[in-house]
This record gives sequence, C-alpha cells and structure tokens, in this order.
Amino acid sequence: MTSIAAARTDGWRRTLRDPALFVTVFILWALLALFILFPLAKLLARTFLDGGQITLGNLVAILRDVNHRQAFWNSLLLAALVGLCGTVLGFVYAFAAVRANLSRAWITVLDAASLLPLISPPFTTAIAMIYSFGPRGLITYHLLGIKGFTVYGLHSTLFSETLTYFPIAYLTLKPILAGIDPNVEDMAFSLGSSRWRVFRTVTLPLTVPGLANAFLLLFAASLADFATPLILAGNSFPVLPTQAYLQITGLFDLKGGAVLSFVLLVPALVVYLLQRFWVSRKYYVTITGKVGAQTTIKSLAPWARAPLLGACLLLAGVVLYFYVLLFYASVVVALGANHAWTWRHYQVIFTEGLKAIRDTLVIAGAGMPLGGLYGILLGYLVAKKIFPGRQAMEIVSMINYALPGTIVGIAYLIAFNDPPIVLTGTALIIVACYVFRYSPTGIRATVALLQQIDPSIEEASQGLGAGSGTTFRRITLPLILPAFFAGLGVVFIRSMTAISATIFLVSINWTLITVRILENMTELSLGPAAAFSVLVVVIVFAVIVAISGLLRRFRTPGAVDMTSILGG
Amino acid sequence: MSAVGIRLEGISKRFAHRVKGEVYAVRDVSLTVQPAELLTLLGPSGCGKTTTLRMIAGFEQPDAGRVFIGEQDVTGLMANQRNIGFVFQNYALFPHLSVFENVAYGLRVQRQPEQEIARAVGDVLALVGLQGYDRQFPNQLSGGEQQRVALARAIVIRPRVLLFDEPLSNLDAKLRVHMRGELRELQQRLRISAVYVTHDQEEAMAISDRIAVMHQGQIVQEGTAESLYRHPGSEFVAQFIGRTNLLSGRVRSAGPGEIELEVAGQHLRLPGDAERATAGQILRLVVRPEVIELRPADSPDGIAGTIVSRTFLGEKAEYQVRVGADLLQVTSYNPVQRGLFTVGQPVRLHFPAEGIQLLPGGPA
Repeated sequence: MTSIAAARTDGWRRTLRDPALFVTVFILWALLALFILFPLAKLLARTFLDGGQITLGNLVAILRDVNHRQAFWNSLLLAALVGLCGTVLGFVYAFAAVRANLSRAWITVLDAASLLPLISPPFTTAIAMIYSFGPRGLITYHLLGIKGFTVYGLHSTLFSETLTYFPIAYLTLKPILAGIDPNVEDMAFSLGSSRWRVFRTVTLPLTVPGLANAFLLLFAASLADFATPLILAGNSFPVLPTQAYLQITGLFDLKGGAVLSFVLLVPALVVYLLQRFWVSRKYYVTITGKVGAQTTIKSLAPWARAPLLGACLLLAGVVLYFYVLLFYASVVVALGANHAWTWRHYQVIFTEGLKAIRDTLVIAGAGMPLGGLYGILLGYLVAKKIFPGRQAMEIVSMINYALPGTIVGIAYLIAFNDPPIVLTGTALIIVACYVFRYSPTGIRATVALLQQIDPSIEEASQGLGAGSGTTFRRITLPLILPAFFAGLGVVFIRSMTAISATIFLVSINWTLITVRILENMTELSLGPAAAFSVLVVVIVFAVIVAISGLLRRFRTPGAVDMTSILGG
Repeated sequence: MSAVGIRLEGISKRFAHRVKGEVYAVRDVSLTVQPAELLTLLGPSGCGKTTTLRMIAGFEQPDAGRVFIGEQDVTGLMANQRNIGFVFQNYALFPHLSVFENVAYGLRVQRQPEQEIARAVGDVLALVGLQGYDRQFPNQLSGGEQQRVALARAIVIRPRVLLFDEPLSNLDAKLRVHMRGELRELQQRLRISAVYVTHDQEEAMAISDRIAVMHQGQIVQEGTAESLYRHPGSEFVAQFIGRTNLLSGRVRSAGPGEIELEVAGQHLRLPGDAERATAGQILRLVVRPEVIELRPADSPDGIAGTIVSRTFLGEKAEYQVRVGADLLQVTSYNPVQRGLFTVGQPVRLHFPAEGIQLLPGGPA
C-alpha cells in the first residue's frame, strides 16, 4: 500500500518537476476532454436527460418502435454473418498465402486484391454491385437475362460488406499462421498424424484466438458500416446506423438520432472490450528456442492445393472485377445502357466537384501532420513517462476509434452546434473528428515500437555521456519515426475515404468527396460517383506508395508495415 | 592517464515488490576495486549483482551509501556525467546507426572534431578486429561482432572505468571462451579498472583478478579464484564455486593436531586444528570431488562406500559413491593408469586432510 501511495506522489512530483511534461500532459488532457469526452457526455445527456431529469423515457420510446427494434436485430444479424463469412474467407486466403508454398508473384496478386478494399471510399463495392446485379445489371440482366432480381436487401449487403472487410481478417490471420513454426507441424507428422489431423489438431487450434479476433473486428466493422447498407440494404432491411442517419437528416430528430446511436454503442463497446481485453490475451506464444531448421511446409495435400488456390483466385477475381468495373463505369457514358467512351464524368468532378476535392485534400492535408504528431506524442508519453492518469489517457484516446463513426458524428453534431463551443460548419470540426478518430493507429504503433526498444539502448546513450535531450533527439526519435509516418498515413487515408462520422459534419462551406459520392448515388448519377471513387483510390494508393517508401528508408528492426496498419 | 579505482561504501537499493512489499535488491554493500583491477561480481540470478553494477554506472540511484570513482564522490551524478564505459548483456547497439556511428556516438556527444572522431573510431575498430565494418548496420552482424562493436563503443570514449553486465551470455559456448580471453587482454592492455558481472563461475575464475560472491543482496565472500575455491567461507560459496560434496560429521574427539569425526556412521581421522572443534559438535565437511582418493576395499583407513555409477571421460573418470545415506561425487584423473573401479564394487574413500575445509554447524 505504502509503495503504491509512494509511487503516486512520486509520479506527481516528477510531473511537477518536469515543466515540459506537465504542460504537454495538460494540453493533451484538455484536447481529449474537448474532443472525446465532452461530445460523448453530450450524447449521453441527450439520451438520458429530459428537462434536467434523468430518464429512460427516450430510450423506451425509441425501442417501442418496432422498426427500430428490427433495425437493432438486423444490425446484429448482419454483423454476425459478415463476421462469420469474412473470417472464413480471410482464413482461406491467409492459409493459401502462408501455407501453400506460393511463389512471390502469386502472393503479390493476393495481397493487391486484399489491399484494394482497404483503401477505397465506402461506396465502391456498392456501386459495382448495382452495376452488376441492379435492375439493369451487367450480370443479372444482360448476362443471365434475369428480370426483376432485387439487388437490395440482406444478401447484397452481406456480400458487399464481406468483400470489403475480409482483408481485415486476412491481415489479422496471416501473421498468426505465419508465426506457427512449421517444425511444430512436422513434429505432429512425425508422431503419425495425417495432414488433415495435423490441421485439425495443431494448426487450427493455434489459430483459434486469431479467428475470434478477426470475427470481432469484422463484427465491429460491419456494425459501424453506414455506407453499404445505406445504398444496398433497402427499405426492407433497416439497420441502426442508417436509421440514426435518416432520423437526423430526414426527420431532423437529433434526440432520436442520439438515442439510436446509443443503442448502437452498447454492442459496439461490448465487442471492442472483448476484442481488446479478452481475445488479445489468449494468443499462444509458440515457445521455441532458436528459430527451427528450415523446412518445407507440408501441411497442404497436393490435391487440396488446386481448389484452395482456385477459391482464392475467384475471390481476388471478384474484387478485381469490381474495381475494373468501377473504372470502366467512370469512362463510359452510362454503364449498362450506353458504352460510348467519354471523359465527361471526370470533367464533372473536376468542375462541379472541384470544391469537394479541394476541401477534402485541405482537410486530409491538415489532419495528417496534426494526427501524426498527436499520435507519437501521446504514444511516447503513455509508453515512457510516468505521470498521474497515464492509463486513463490511453483508454480515453482510444474511445473515438472504438466507437462506430455514426455515434462519433452525432456526438460532435450535438456537442459543437451550440455555445459554448460552436464549430459546426467549420473545417476544424472535420479535422478534429478525423484526428481523434484515426490517430490511435499511430499511438499504438508508437507504443509498440517503443516497447520493442530495449531500455538499455537509451541507457547506453546516457552512459556515453548524452543527456536526456540528446538521447531523445538522436536515439528515440529516429527509432519511432516509422510510427509517425504510419500514423499520419492512416489519418490521411481515412480522411479521404471515411464518411460515417463526417456525413453529419459537412456544410456548405466544407464538404467531402465521399459525401459527394453519396449525393451522386442518390441522384442516380453513377458515372461521376465512379469517377470520384477512382480518383480517391488513385490518390490514396499514391500516398501509400510514398509512405511505404519513407518507411523503407527509415527502416529499423521491427518497423511497422504499412499494409498491416490498415487492417485494425 | 593512470587507472583509478572504484569504492562502494555501504550502498543499498530497495525495490517495491508486488507481493513482498519493499525488498532489498542490494543491502549495505561495500567494495573496493583497485586501479587497473578486474573484479567480478558473481552470484545466482536475483542476487543483486546487476543492480550493484547499475549503481556504479549511475543508471540506478542507491537509497543509501556512497559511490566513488577514483577519489570523486559520484553518488549524485547522472550516468552521463560519470565517464564510464558500459557493455550491456544485449549489447544495446543503436539499430538505426551504422557501426561507425555507433562507435562515434560518445565522441559526437563530446563534440570532438570530425577528424579526431574518424581517427579514434578507426583505431578502436582495429583494436577489436573490426576494420572495414564501418558501414554495416547492427542487424547485419553476428553475435560476436555485435559484442565487439559494443566493446569498441564503450572504450572509445576513454572511460575511467569499464562495466560489464553479463556481456558474453548471448554468445555460444566456444565464442564465449574466446571472447573472454580477448576482453581480459584488452582490459589489461588499456590498464583500466573494470567490474564484471556474471553468474558463470568458470567465466569468473578465468577472467578476474578478484571475485566478490553475492547472495541475497550482499557480498558473502571476496577473494581470488584460488582462495575462494580452497577456502570457501560458507556452504553457499562452496557449492557455487566449483563442484563439491557436503558432508556432516560429529566431532568425537579433538586431540592435538588431529580431529576424529564420525561421518556417515564411520570414523574418520583428520589432521587438523583441535582448537576449532569441541567434542559432540556438528561440523560440515567441504570435500571437492577431485581430492577424494578411491582405494580398494581392503586398504586401511578411510570410509567404506560402494560405487553407484561411473562416467569415463578420457582424462578423468567421474564416480558416484554411496556412503551411508549420502551420494558422493568423486573425480579420478588419469584413470587409465590408476585403474578403474566398476559399478557395485566396494571401495574405501581416502580424504587427504589439506583438501578438506571444515565449516561450522548444519543439519546432523
């Protein structure tokens, strides 16, 4: 007890003695309070306060509506199905990449197909779905001659979301499968197991925590997805995020939107906590002394290799087909009706849409350095410094990342619409939303890197006569630079592609490409929507290439890989 | 620059332990390292040897006591003001800097002119046998090479003392033996005081001028390898330095120049100091395996026993011999000429008096 109390006072004393630390901590807490805690508190107040009284009346009123109850169950059903299908696909994909002795070229193809959905604006698969399976769809109408096929509903939403999110499962499972020492499988073979038995009794059990993790990540992603169901779910299959959006933009019912997003918050939080604090601790550490002898991987029977590879190629093919279709749609007059070549859609987006492009680039460009800086600053403090409230700071910084975007957007809308702090209509509110929602990737990368840096490295510098300032500048900073690039990269990419939160925050003054895509789609001008999407994919891809180059340049042992960051 | 020594005066360090509360990692340790001497802190893991070393370096602040380097009291100084060379167990090379920059780091901190840095780094890399490695990065080096870089980085700043924290434990056995020879040679060539931490008694004996054995945060015995081996002051030291047999014996009579003991129900006469023992007292006998002489069962004197196992190793044979309830280790050198005993054979164990150390007390 005394030692804990002593450590506490020690923490305070150190904080007060180091004025730079004190000021930084103070500023960070002020920002966290303003942009994370305050909006969330306002959202909860809107849900549970009525005329200064705490009440469950709002909640009950919303839940009494059979439509809303349906939306709740639909959301859970969809999320569970996406979690299941996406995890299976991701596992098959990862298993093929890691255990099928593929050549580098094959793996590059698989990786490319899995990267595309991660860097795309939210509506791309939805647009391609409508082109393929809609009323005049290339596949349903033209190819198969089916009339009256309904593209809207659970099946399309599920299909589209599974394709969009399975790469998350792939990126989660690949390192786990790769981490299973093939010698462990060899051992099982030598004990007389068949291949199937080795898979069933060794490989699969070791992957179980990863599978659970992937399922929960996909569940959360689907639960929070707003764009896909908005386009594809239709009236017959309402889900919570779209209901909340329609409640606010259609009925101007801010309170109803707040309550609905609170209903969404509960399962989202449960899943996040499960994923973060339960599953992530269940990972098996394969304990082997030295790295085992090189061995060829025998876990896949030769006859099974072809179907497995076929399944993966089919999946990659569907993804690539969607993107080719998207590009094609952007350069013909009207896909499905008039296939004449045209640049018209690009002319549209670079004239009418120019403001959205400029705004988006300004916002992403402003958010990028701020997010990167905030990420390494908070990560460094949390990992290396001792000050009161350190753990609380880490947890609070993760909140906006863990919550579905719809909730964050509605909370910001409620919080910053009225005095004391009015930010509605400014670029600042959008930048703040992105920075505090997407910097946790940079924070985690910083913490992970710092944890890999042995404390003795900093001591070595100190022992050679360097003070703490020199040590930070010459040793620590260069070593966490990759986390800085990764962090700002993610903020930029998400600023280009996200919509669920910021759809509530755009205004006449400041709009976003993703919002324009949605508007185009509701106006049924799919051509410009496709052109916008292609533009976003190209810009994001260019940024990823640039950042990967930087990461390679500053490569240090244990540096993060850009693609691995996009997954979580 | 003439070598300076190190002096510790009653230093202690406490840590907050999750279960046990406040525990002493180091308790009231006093120690003197003579100029140009290599002193090893030897002990099992958790004995406080590394904490002691880190307090000399300034990475930890003692809760009590003072640290002197030369005549200067450095207790309150940070590590970067002490001018020390520290070699870490994991080398702690800067992964983002080349070998040259790693070694040059301390000189750059001192703001030495570029020419001087290039010369000094070149010299020291040649000294540790790493010419031409300037542009390599730490992850491109083998364990032994990384070790040399760590060493070069520590000595290039011409530190007043060198501190080694188990520097060889990450190397394989053969390289370990080779590198300890190099370390020792370098330390003597540079004439610099050094403190060396290890848990490996053989390494300690091979490299040190003197050894301080630590146990539970305190120094239990100090001395040369030979004196620690021949005259261990406690059962802990006896067992930690070399292999040993520990036997209990009851003093039957203590005559002039001779003690008669009852060991394992049998009588044993040892020439020794009568003053150290009184009749009826329990003593512990420290008997090294190689001092015991095995003789045929019909020879006079000695203690009767039976061979339980035999391992033939060429230049020596190792036996396990049952004596009463005890199992004794016996090493016999040059066994081919002296004759081998077979398993199950009754023998007599002869203990030469000068090879036996008597310790007070212990379970009967």
